[in-house]
Amino acid sequence: MPPEHPMLVATDVHRHFEGMHAVDGVSLEVPRGQITGLIGPNGAGKSTFMAVVAGTLPATSGRILLEAEDITRAPAYARARRGLVRTFQLPSEFARLTVLENLLVAAPRNRGDSLFGALMGRRYWAQDEERIVTEARSLLQRFGMSAKESDYAGTMSGGQKRLIEIMRALMLHPRILLLDEPMSGVHPRVIEQIQYYLQVLRTEGLTILMVEHELHLVEQLCDSVFVMAQGKLIGSGTMASLRRQREIVDAYLVG
Amino acid sequence: MNTFYATNLLIYAGVDIIALLALNLQFGVSGIVNFSFIVFQAAGAYAAAVLSMPPDSNPDYSFQIYFGGYQLPFPLPWIGGAVAGGLLAIPIGLVALRKLRSDYQAIALLVTSIIANEVINNARPFLNGAAGLALVPKPLQDQVDTQGDYYPYLLIGLTAACVALVWFVSARIVNSPYGRSLRAMRENELAANALGKNPVALKMTIFIVGGIIAGLSGAILVGYLSVWAPSTWQYPETIILFAALIVGGRGNNVGAILGALLVPVGLEEVTRLMVHLNLGPPNLIPALEWVVIGLCILGFLWFRPEGVRPEPRRVFDGGPDVELGEGVHAT
Amino acid sequence: MRLRVLVLSLLIFAAAFGFGLVSMSVIALAAVGFTMQFGITNMINLAYGQVMIASAYVAYYLNRAGVTIWVGMIAGAVFGAVFSFLLNRFVYAPFQRKGTSLLGMVIVSLAVSLMIANLLLPIVGYFSVSYEEHGGSLVRIGDVVLTNNQIAIIVLSVALMLGIHALLRYTRLGKAMRATAANPTLARNCGIPTQRVIDMVWLITGALCGVAGVVAALNSDSFAIANGAGFLITALAAAVVGGAGQPYGAMIGAVVIGLVTELSAAAWSPEYKEVVAFGILVLVMVLRPQGLLAKRGALAAAG
Repeated sequence: MPPEHPMLVATDVHRHFEGMHAVDGVSLEVPRGQITGLIGPNGAGKSTFMAVVAGTLPATSGRILLEAEDITRAPAYARARRGLVRTFQLPSEFARLTVLENLLVAAPRNRGDSLFGALMGRRYWAQDEERIVTEARSLLQRFGMSAKESDYAGTMSGGQKRLIEIMRALMLHPRILLLDEPMSGVHPRVIEQIQYYLQVLRTEGLTILMVEHELHLVEQLCDSVFVMAQGKLIGSGTMASLRRQREIVDAYLVG
Repeated sequence: MNTFYATNLLIYAGVDIIALLALNLQFGVSGIVNFSFIVFQAAGAYAAAVLSMPPDSNPDYSFQIYFGGYQLPFPLPWIGGAVAGGLLAIPIGLVALRKLRSDYQAIALLVTSIIANEVINNARPFLNGAAGLALVPKPLQDQVDTQGDYYPYLLIGLTAACVALVWFVSARIVNSPYGRSLRAMRENELAANALGKNPVALKMTIFIVGGIIAGLSGAILVGYLSVWAPSTWQYPETIILFAALIVGGRGNNVGAILGALLVPVGLEEVTRLMVHLNLGPPNLIPALEWVVIGLCILGFLWFRPEGVRPEPRRVFDGGPDVELGEGVHAT
Repeated sequence: MRLRVLVLSLLIFAAAFGFGLVSMSVIALAAVGFTMQFGITNMINLAYGQVMIASAYVAYYLNRAGVTIWVGMIAGAVFGAVFSFLLNRFVYAPFQRKGTSLLGMVIVSLAVSLMIANLLLPIVGYFSVSYEEHGGSLVRIGDVVLTNNQIAIIVLSVALMLGIHALLRYTRLGKAMRATAANPTLARNCGIPTQRVIDMVWLITGALCGVAGVVAALNSDSFAIANGAGFLITALAAAVVGGAGQPYGAMIGAVVIGLVTELSAAAWSPEYKEVVAFGILVLVMVLRPQGLLAKRGALAAAG
């Protein structure tokens, strides 16, 4: 993939809260169309950084650019609408909605998704609804969860919930996907599944930034990696090149 | 006597159904714990009263002190009541709808309603304080003889029309993609936010819509009772409505209606029956009613928190065959 | 250290004004018990006010039978202790174990509060009653005029606050209580019998609740079932202002609420005295839920 302009640029991002510097001046560029990892020891500030990039938490200072668009002040829902979508570390499915409904909620262009549209009645939005149901169903089929479409999302297994979250994010046709430990606490077979899908998504041009602990997974999946420790960025590059840097190995990588 | 009883029952049933449909939109569907709900109904009642009454300079009304008195004809007072409910939702919503743990939010709103009640109770020139407003004109009383045989049917008909309208609006909202977004926000606001839904806008909108409907219910009630005082709208009234949603089933309109019929209407009727049949000292029975309400709340929260008619599972045509189980209901 | 200086200076400030001291004392008794219940079980016990009233009535009936109110207070304390303990054991704890949401617990405690009030109503009636305990002779301290009873209330309150402080600071039970409030799982793993600690907390705070009820009733001209909500919200206001779950915070909250309400009653109008406390509660809950003083309370309210 020829490197073009980076998909996401973070410049000197700080996140201070109650005297703690969770993110202490991180600057990085996420290359387009690749899977980039974000690794580091516990408490390094990776999840906080992700939350700041996604807009869930406000940055104390710094800038965040999405394809040259300044989104630093934009709230999370606005960033999602502009193509920056995140998933969560803890299961965040809409429990009392069905699996299909979870995906339908995410679909952005639905005339029925406003008070006015609702009051206009079914005929006003039936066409849009049909379109997104079809799209959602094809996603479900792709990820092998068609049979579960009418089950409550809350009754799904951990791995299935992860898949639901990824599918949900995809319904928004994102430009960049922020994944917060997508493989943690998930059955090994589901890990393989998720790995496979992420690689397919990469070939389709999706940019992915992924926080992950399991280093062998990072090695298999990520084209390059950023390393954080104590709120700062302490290294970047491929896993192989990072292994050669003494400080990084000391700080974090154990073999 | 029979007509009076039936009229009373039907009008209260109508008002309670409307109120519960509103609360269901706010709480059942959207997860807003509006423990100040009764204030919105009161706002509608006061607004309708003040819009339809003559000014307090009028000799028949001079025993009361209140602002307004525009003597507007029906249906303006009812519309005004609805508007008042909606307008009140704006300041209360701006203050109370921020991200707060649910029990704090509930208590903050509950205390707000207590404050409102106390303030109006004590501020005599505003809405006649503790005595409240009396001789509120009934709808169309200039055109129709309110003491006549047909008037009750007129009032019941008007109420029923409002119930139909509110049901229509509620159903459209709940069964639409918009309703789905509201439910998603209820389930996990953070995730909904991360998927492009603006929770502040969603909450404020539905809070205002609920306020409008609650205001309408108040306007209807005051038109029937012709009196309205702070003692009519104390905080336990909101608790009855929440009990109704817990019992009937929240998140769906049928459950809300069921709750309305079982709790405020049902218990009132049972109470009335008991008094009528002299099943105990009359001062004991209203207190007993509250104890029963409390037991109902505890019982349902323990044994069946989803209510008699829980939120239905939505199944779309063209999907795989649905396997029903675990007490789940299909649409 | 800073906390104690703050409390001291606030008390001096208050003493210079005089009025409010009694209010503060009454509110402190209620608020500390209430906040400790929240701290140990994460439970906003909305039935607290009604238990206060019930205890006040227990003392009232004894008073009518000729028993002095100071002995009746002990009976009220015992009643409050037993009732609160049973309430937690057989209602709150089971619902919490079942996984009831925070909102569900609010509804549970509201239901309980309504039931207590309405079970009492047929027994005690709607009308206000008062204790037969005359204020006693007036005492003048500088610009301040207080009755004997009021002085006794202040002394009692200060004594009980010191007692709670001693309990929390110096006794094993107190340390166990603080540990359980901060992190119950960790406390249990360290060998602390958390169930027994929780029971003790409810007994102690229940007793405080009972005393607070009698004292509040003693300090008013008259009381009735209807006062329950006011008692509750005032205690809740003091607790939240000082940081929910923190006993020292509740004491400071009591000073703040007591002072502000008395000032507003004097400067403005006495009818709205309670409403001012209610208003402060709502504003603090909505704008600064962790309280004016808490830095990072163990059970601070966040999203």
